[in-house]
Amino acid sequence: MTLVRERGRAPTAAEIAEHAGYSVRSVFERFADLNELRLAVVDQAIVEGRSDAALQALDLDRANRLRIQVDSRAHNRERWLPLWRVMAMQPERSPELAARMETIRELGMRRIEAVFAPELATLDEKERRNTLIAIQALTEFESWDRMRDMFDLSFDEACATWVMALDSLLPPTSAVS
Amino acid sequence: MSDATNQGSAMVPRKSGRIDGRRLRSERTKQLIVEAYLALLRDDNRNPTAAQTAERAGYSVRSVFERFPDLHALRVMATDYSMSQSAALAPARHVDGDRATRIRSQVETRAGTCERGLKLWRMLMVFQQDSDELKKRVRLGRERTIDRIEQMYPAELAALDAVARKQLLVALEALTDFESWARMREFHNMSFEDSCALWIGAIDRLLPPTPQP
Repeated sequence: MTLVRERGRAPTAAEIAEHAGYSVRSVFERFADLNELRLAVVDQAIVEGRSDAALQALDLDRANRLRIQVDSRAHNRERWLPLWRVMAMQPERSPELAARMETIRELGMRRIEAVFAPELATLDEKERRNTLIAIQALTEFESWDRMRDMFDLSFDEACATWVMALDSLLPPTSAVS
Repeated sequence: MSDATNQGSAMVPRKSGRIDGRRLRSERTKQLIVEAYLALLRDDNRNPTAAQTAERAGYSVRSVFERFPDLHALRVMATDYSMSQSAALAPARHVDGDRATRIRSQVETRAGTCERGLKLWRMLMVFQQDSDELKKRVRLGRERTIDRIEQMYPAELAALDAVARKQLLVALEALTDFESWARMREFHNMSFEDSCALWIGAIDRLLPPTPQP
């Protein structure tokens, strides 16, 4: 991951071995090929995503849930964006890699569903799905990438943009919650 | 002298006509190669090779490399060709309409662009990291999207301060990105109309109230 962050591309086996202080042979004793190594890194991202702290803030008011959810997702995007870029750059993705990318997106969707359950519960099924899809589109890696890279937004400015957008897309919070 | 002059003047157009004809044919071949490359992308070939492109266009691989020094040059030209076509096919409409009309119009135009250009966009995403020329075009595509949003919603945007305006533009651009369209169409299996309806609803919620005249 250090090499991916430094170079913005998938490192070779020789580069990985040199950086880790091992031989290329050692790398391939542990991983059948570079794809397997890449998958192991993605699996680490998934494990981190699952243990995200944002889910511990479910009982807070809307503004705090928004803030914590956005902050947590933004840190996740910031941390794993270089890897996501490398995965997205593969012209031919292995089925395993494609499946993991879907898992990451799916986890993100379920997270939004859980954190904003009180608001989403007020919508019918179709509206609820549409809102989730729109929020997902806005909070994808690609969206974070553009805010930071193309629009030159600082971390805080990018977070503020997401908070504004999510707050606009979500329906009013029901009084019961 | 006058004969010579006449002869000369008669020959000049003939010669330039020959050159122009050859150039036109060569340009036509170039265009056919570009169209073949784009057709392969549309067929879900994420990285068409020179041989595949040549075969699809009905030319030899040599013909391809006579007109393009390498595949990168072909990708750049295919991008320019597609972006010009896209601009021609998607003029701004209903800019003076009411809010609902403008949202619908912008969404339908953008949806058409995404539907036609998704595969090319994916190619750009793969190869832009190694090419400043392609990066520039990706940025241009996004700037055009933002320009269009500004053109369609001037009244709503004028009601915001600079920070809120920028936030809204960034959010609307992300919402109506190619990948967002692709997710709706490919992953969620939504129809063209349902996908448009989703964007319309989301844009309506993101935009501030339209000021009364």
